Amino acid sequence: MLGSDGPDDDWVRRAQAGDREAFSELVRRHQDRVFRYLLRMLGSHEDALELTQDAFIKAWQALPQWQPEAQFRTWLFRIANNTALDALRRRKLVEFVPLENSFDTPSSEPDPERQAQATQEVRQLEANMKKLAPEHRQILLLREVEEMTYEEIGRVLSLSEGTVKSRLARARAALIEIYARSRP
Amino acid sequence: MSPEEKCPRSEALSALVDNELLEPDRGALATHVTGCPICAPVLAEFKQLRDSFVALPEVAAGVDIASLVDRRIAAIAGIAKPQSRPQRWRWWQVGPAALGGALSLSLGVYLGSALMLGSQVTAQPAALQMAAFTAIPPGALCPVLQACNSMGH
Repeated sequence: MLGSDGPDDDWVRRAQAGDREAFSELVRRHQDRVFRYLLRMLGSHEDALELTQDAFIKAWQALPQWQPEAQFRTWLFRIANNTALDALRRRKLVEFVPLENSFDTPSSEPDPERQAQATQEVRQLEANMKKLAPEHRQILLLREVEEMTYEEIGRVLSLSEGTVKSRLARARAALIEIYARSRP
Repeated sequence: MSPEEKCPRSEALSALVDNELLEPDRGALATHVTGCPICAPVLAEFKQLRDSFVALPEVAAGVDIASLVDRRIAAIAGIAKPQSRPQRWRWWQVGPAALGGALSLSLGVYLGSALMLGSQVTAQPAALQMAAFTAIPPGALCPVLQACNSMGH
């Protein structure tokens, strides 16, 4: 019996053999990360929830092609990222719909004034992220929110580490430019 | 002008923020930035940007996606969960019902036969049963005695 905190690979091998319970364990391990990524890519709670399921279904169907050399998380994010881009293309969402008020503000902030400022900063970041091109948004989310290394991002986006490095710099510069334009 | 255009080292500065630069490039860039009026503000902006991402709140789906996905996988595969085996009837399951049915049928036949045996209709000859088609149907009053004796009795 595998422990629930064991490495993904063992669960993936069991899931590859058709064990749906093993796959459910993998889904539970990664569902919040995939959901978070898709939510910030698409801006809609309902869409993110639906596409998270779609991404896992695709992962289940693609499991026979999974190789032990591939890290399951990056392999899964590759599927999730493609799912998000497909949805964006299908819905022609260049400028995203407004983010719903589903993001909670940090609750550990004791000072109301500071809390209000932090909330404002978060909303500003979310609003500015929506204005970014999808390829900039995805690479920033993978780096800053999912805390992936350049190598991992390269695997998810099928890019060389050099391209990841330059695209990240461009994405940051673009976001800073959006901040500058949004200031009164 | 964008920061990227202003600073020729923006890629390296971005990698420095990400801790993706190796020595000696890392040390050399850090030394350069301290004395460069162009690179220093860019690095500061990159670091500020990073801090703003850290402030983003955690979000969660709030539902058990695993069970939803499992149900969809089962539906795709045409498997119902919990997996149910097709029902097979055993003789001990149908026996009591069959016995009850047979007894009911036998009792019905018996009661029906008893009623038929006790009735006048079966005792009557076939010709008498056709009396319904005579001039005076059964149960009608006889105008004269001979009229009711059409059968010769």
